[in-house]
This record gives sequence, structure tokens and C-alpha cells, in this order.
Amino acid sequence: MSESDLDRAAAGEELPVDYTSIEKSLADLWRGQKADDEHAVTRAALWNVVAHTTSTQEHATASEVLGRASVTVPQRTIVVRANPAADPHMESWISANCHMIGGGKQVCSEEISIVAGGDRIHRVPPLVNALLIPDMPVAVWWIGDLPGEHENYVESLLEPADRLIVDSVHFDAPADLALISRIAERTTTAPADLNWVRLEEWRTATASVFDAPALRGRLRAIRRVRLIAGTSTDGEGAFFGESVESLFFASWLSTQAGHHVDRDGRVEGPSGQIEYRFDRRNQTTDVGGIAFAEILFDDGTSASISRDRERGILTANVDGTVSTPESVTRAMGRGTDDLIVRMLKRPEADRVFVKVISVAARMAKRLVS
Amino acid sequence: MSAVAPTIEPNPLREGLEQERVPDASCLVIFGASGDLTHRKLLPALYSLAHDGLLPAGQTIIGFSRPDYTDEAFRMDVREACNKYARTRPVDDAVWENFAKGLFYVRGDFTEPGAYLRLKQKLEECDRSRGTGGRRIYYLAVPPNFFPVICEFLGGEGMVNDPERGGPFTRAIIEKPFGHDLESARELNRVAVSTFRERQVFRIDHYLGKETVQNLLVLRFANGIFEPFWNRQYIDHVQFTVAESIGVEKRGGYFDSAGITRDIVQNHLLQLVSLFAMEPPVAFEANAVRDEKVKVIRALREFPKGREHELAVRGQYTAGSVLGEKAPGYLQEENVKPNSRTETFSALKLFVDNWRWADVPFYIRAGKRLPKRVTDISIHFRPAPYPLFNKGTSVKTQPNVLAIRIQPDEGISLKFDSKVPGPSVRTAPVSMEFRYATSFGAEPPEAYERLLLETMLGDSTLFARRDEVETAWAWLDPLLNTWASDSRPPDSYAAGTWGPESADALIERDGRKWRRP
Repeated sequence: MSESDLDRAAAGEELPVDYTSIEKSLADLWRGQKADDEHAVTRAALWNVVAHTTSTQEHATASEVLGRASVTVPQRTIVVRANPAADPHMESWISANCHMIGGGKQVCSEEISIVAGGDRIHRVPPLVNALLIPDMPVAVWWIGDLPGEHENYVESLLEPADRLIVDSVHFDAPADLALISRIAERTTTAPADLNWVRLEEWRTATASVFDAPALRGRLRAIRRVRLIAGTSTDGEGAFFGESVESLFFASWLSTQAGHHVDRDGRVEGPSGQIEYRFDRRNQTTDVGGIAFAEILFDDGTSASISRDRERGILTANVDGTVSTPESVTRAMGRGTDDLIVRMLKRPEADRVFVKVISVAARMAKRLVS
Repeated sequence: MSAVAPTIEPNPLREGLEQERVPDASCLVIFGASGDLTHRKLLPALYSLAHDGLLPAGQTIIGFSRPDYTDEAFRMDVREACNKYARTRPVDDAVWENFAKGLFYVRGDFTEPGAYLRLKQKLEECDRSRGTGGRRIYYLAVPPNFFPVICEFLGGEGMVNDPERGGPFTRAIIEKPFGHDLESARELNRVAVSTFRERQVFRIDHYLGKETVQNLLVLRFANGIFEPFWNRQYIDHVQFTVAESIGVEKRGGYFDSAGITRDIVQNHLLQLVSLFAMEPPVAFEANAVRDEKVKVIRALREFPKGREHELAVRGQYTAGSVLGEKAPGYLQEENVKPNSRTETFSALKLFVDNWRWADVPFYIRAGKRLPKRVTDISIHFRPAPYPLFNKGTSVKTQPNVLAIRIQPDEGISLKFDSKVPGPSVRTAPVSMEFRYATSFGAEPPEAYERLLLETMLGDSTLFARRDEVETAWAWLDPLLNTWASDSRPPDSYAAGTWGPESADALIERDGRKWRRP
């Protein structure tokens, strides 16, 4: 590799390399820069992120999303495209995701692409394993629905993973939630879900309702919760993944408020059963996203949280006797790269999500029954 | 027996959220609301906190000052300041709309009794309309001579709640300078504690709000590898530099009566020294941390009477050029006395006389009109005991240096020797670097954001305690008195250089050199 290879890679060009010597090719790439260069390129990585894709389009999306994410969370990105139905073959290339920081300095993260077809896909996990930067955590981002076959392949790819990133908006059945819950229980890989990250603004806005000391006790007096979320259909036969954000909200509220959720998904609070109602609203954008939440208390008062899309905020209001001004929460970025960045910025597994996921699997039974 | 306010259980819905701790809504009154600090730092910091969702619903800010503003005019003024100085600028309309609802203004002179009645009325109104529940924070962004009168009125009008009696909190934030010398510091503290209890007083040294300063504690106490060699056995000496490229700007009047030693060394630099040298606290909790810090200041060796010049150098800049621009001499600066002997540079050699640091010199320097703005701590390790390599050459192995850059370009670097590739065994120093901007990307919060939030949460870990301030003055006073009685002018240095030659001599006579930060 020459110095111009580094410039080309830094400009985003993909450089084909022999998959048996990817690490050496990367080392050659960086050796190309002058030691005394005032505007030297700095290599940085806080994570190893392995994106698993099955199509050219998913591959392109993963590369683009992680390229953007690496500006905030520098990472060694490995994008795998594995298609067992394709002809047996294997190829690889490298590139760099670079951005400028202060003082004219350029920071770059490495990106490796590996494409495999047919039975060659089984060579991918050991290759990925060898390419991981030591001592840096590993996240595997599984794009699309979780596979029901090629279990060995999946297990070996997940073996070094500290975190498994999924997006439950693509889940087609409650069994997928149960699978994630099992991974949390039985392995050292902590599951993480982009849909859960989407919910963060709703959790923040809802938490603000109960911040005021006078309202803290109201969590014990919840009687009914109503959620309205976007759907792409009229309601009948809606795709399961579109309901997951609402399910997570309900499971989170119950879990954190200390309510009991039985195996059939019924919720019991200190003053009896708590009713959860999941309504849907047909919309073309933000399908599956919550648009409105209403919490009714024992004494007839209520709190409501709604999204003001135009102003980019969520507002929370309490209707009752206690004087509390409206609380405003800035809506967070919902782009996939924003979600991934927020997730990778957490150095530890999300213990609340781990609690919520098993409850959500139970509550989901009520949705599909 | 004292009554204790009932403990409110934490909000369980906050678990796992980025904003795990949100303070209870309070009224924050800023005395000196029309001042520069308020406009450049405080209000933009408060807005950024609101922008990041760290302020509770109902948080109220009341500006108190002499100019005749309406609430609306004050809000417009604040918006302009936020657009100019806030980390999260430009102002987001939706966030602003909500933030502005909690902004109010009370016009008044600090010495006018009626003004405090108007303020009291406004506070009570806010309690009713904004759910602030009698919780108060008074920010005294005013010169210290106004402290007594403000404290007296607040106490006299019943606007301070004694925490011993329970009920909503009252806190007071005080800005430096915390006095001019030991006597004035004691007097200020006496005034403060005549109205507030010590635990209600939050003395701001904004250096403690900086991420890199807090990271000093993390570096030391969250990593197992550093603490074993953080002592006299492995460390040869330590250097602290607080360099400013600017002159006195519009602060000529104040600075000329203070000097760099009072302005920087007594507070910022001694805070850095104490965080660097302290023993591990039993907990990351206000008094545990501050107990350890004050022990370091107490252990500072006194300057030898009559031989202070052996350990202390003062300088004053003359005309020169900084960063390619011509710079006037100190005596030509606005509001500076033409024959001033005020020091704009000081370099000190300190010793922390305790078990860990005995005889390890700490060289500290602070100055104005130095070549660049930089704050940096460098730890110089003892050399390897025997020179195994580079025999027969003039190359010497270099001692390891761990450098902690506080600002700008925050980060940590470690210099060590490495083999130069080739057939012979020759060594050359290389550097391993960590930069905040590279690893964490996002801009860290401003120091004032962190400190204001900590005040609202009632955590005084990052604030100076009374005994820290007084002990620092007690150590520094004799040197300042000696300088004050010395009729000779400070040693001169040209603007844009690293201080007077005597500062180089201070370290070079020990066979060491200032590191170029």
C-alpha cells in the first residue's frame, strides 16, 4: 500500500484486499503516512462493531450508518454480507471513515467489508474474530429479523460479542422478544435494541411527570394507561414489530413502578388491576412510534405526554390539583446512526432493558391473543 | 435534636436514563444579573442544561440587578446571550419557549430594603405558580464587598431556611475571589456563615467543573496501574502550568490590585495540586474528598523567611508579540498604575511535606501574555536506574513523562523510549496519546453547567470548602507580604515568551527544565 492508498481510503474509497491478509493490508495503509506530517491522520477506536447483513442494500446501509456513527464513536467497523444461498465465494475490501477535528487534525476509523456466499459463510466468524481489536468491546449489529436457521453460524458470530444490537421493529412474532430475553439470561452477550433507544425520549418525558416531589407517589396510583402508536395498516393484521415500542413502554412503566405482570400479561398495581390500552393510528412516517400516552390515576386526575413533531419536542402535562408547569423534552434523533451512537456510548449493558424485555414478551401475549 | 427533612424516594422511572438525577425545581436568584459573568457563563449554562433536559419542569431563574428591565426585556437579553455563548447555540425555539417561561427579573439595588421585599414577593409567587416549593439558590455574582449587605438582607427578611430545621433547601453560590488575603477570606467566610450554614455555601472555582480536572481523580482512582507509582519512589518532579496568551483585557483595575498569584495560584493551581497529590478519599463524597484535599494544602512547606526568592519568582510582561500580534507591556494596559509592581507571572517551587511526597518538587507557574493558552500537568518519572542502551553515543534515554492536558485539546499523553528500527539498539522517545476529542467526539459540558447542576442537586464535592480557602491563604500570605514589601519591580519578560529568565533559573538550578506544554 502506498501513501496515496491512505488518501484514497480516507476519501472513502474501497480498496480490495486479500481476505487472508486484511490486518497486514491495514497496517500497510497506515504506514503510508509521513511521521512528521503536521496534519497527521489519527486512528481511533473505542469499539469493534460487526454489522451482519444479507443483501447488497443492507450492506450499503450498514456501511453508511456506521460511517456516520464513527464520527462520534470511533470504531473498527466490520461489515459482513453473508448469503448461504449464493455461489460459494469470498472477497474483502478495506476503507476508512475520516473526519476533521480541531487544529486541522483528521481522525479515521477503519472499515472492513467481508462478503461470503454458500458454505463459505462458515469461514466468516473465525475471520471476524481474528480482526477484532484486542481489549475493545465488541458489538454485533444484526440487521433484519433474527434468523431461525444456521444456528451454528449465528452462535459463532456472537461468541465474542459483548453486545447484540437488534431492531425489534423488524420482529414478526413475540417469540423474537423471548429469544432476546433468553440471550440476556443465558449468555454473556448483552442484548440491545434500537427500538428501546427510540423509546428513551418517551421514558424521559414520562419520568419528568413524576420528578416533582408532590407527584412521586402517584406511580402507586396508576389505574389506566392508554398508548397511541403509528401503524402502516388500518389496525387489523398489523405487523408485530410495529407494536413493540408501545409494548416496551407499557412493560417499562410496570416494571419500574413495581407493578406485577403475570404470565398472561395482566398487570396488577397496589390498588388493583391496571388496564393498558394499545391504540393505533394509521400514518406513513414513524410507523410503530408512540404518538401519545395518557396515564390515569385512582383519583380521576391524569398525566399526558404527546409528541409535537413540528417543534421537535415531547410535552408532558399533569391535570390535577398540584401546580406543575408543562415539562418539555427535546425529541432525540431517530436516525439509525443516532440510535447506534447512543447505544454505544453506554459502556455497560442496559439493566433496565434486560428487566423490561422479559415482561414485554409476556405482555405481547395480550396483543396477539 | 434537629429536625430533618423527610427523604423523598428517588424517581424509579429515571433508572438507566441519561439524566438519572434531576434536581427538584427551585428558584435560582442571580444577584448581579446584568454582569458579564451572568451573560457569558451563567445564563448560557442554564439554557444548555435546559436544552439537554437536565432542568426540572418549573425551574425558575430570577435576575436581580440595578438596570430597569421588564421580565420581557430580560428574556430578550438572555436569549441574545444564549445565542452568543451557549454550548448548545443557536437557541432552539421549542426549548427556549419553555425555558423563558421560568425567567423573571427584579430590579433593585443591593442596599435597598424595598428591593428584597419585591424579590421575596416574586419568590412566593413562583412557589405558587411554578411548584418551586420554597427551594432557593442565591448566586452572588457580585464583587465581594456586596456579600455582607446581601447576606444581611436575605437573613433579615427571612429568606434563608436553616437546614437544621428541615423544610425546603436554601443554598448560596459564591464566586471567587474568596478574599484578598487570609484576614479578608476569614471575614468573608464569617459573613457567609452568619447567614448560611457552611453546608449551604457553594464556593465556585470553575476549574473544578472541568471534565479534565475531574478526570484527574478518575485517572488516579479508577485505574489500578497509576496509583502504585504515584509517589516519591517513582516520581522525580511534577510541573503545573496555567498559561494565558491574553493580557488583563478589561480587568486591569481588579487585576492590578490582585496579581496572578491571587488570581490563579491561590485557587485554580492549588486546586490542581491538591487533587493531584491527595490521598484516596474513603468515598467520592463532598467531605471525604475535601478532607483529603485540605490535608495536601496543610502539608505545603512554608516559604523560608528571607529566602523566598529561592523558591518563588515573580514577573511582569513588557511589550512583545503573542501569536503573531503585537502586545503592549503590562504598564501600558488600561486601568493599570504606571508604576505598578503587580506580578503577571509567578513560578513557585513547592514541597508537600508528607509521607507520599517528601522532597518531590512541584514546580508551578502561571502567567499572562505567554506564548499560548494552555493548562497542563506533567509528571516526570525517575530515570531507569542503569543506562543499558545507547552506549558509546551521545543519546541519553529520556525520563518518562505523563502529561495531562487540562485545556485546550484535552487529553493525556505518555512519553517513553522505544527502539529505533535498525541493526543497532538505539532508543528514541515516542508518545502515546489519548485525546478527548478523538475518543469521545462530542463537546463536553461547560464547567458552569456541571457546577450549577451540582448545586441544584446539593452535592458540594466540586466546590471549595471554607478550610481549603483559608488554609491556602495562610500558606500564601507570607510570600505575598514579602513581595508587597519588596521595593524592587518584578522580573520582566517580553510578551509572548515563557516568563522571566529567573523562572528558568528556578528549575534549572535543580538540573531540570520546564516542559514546553
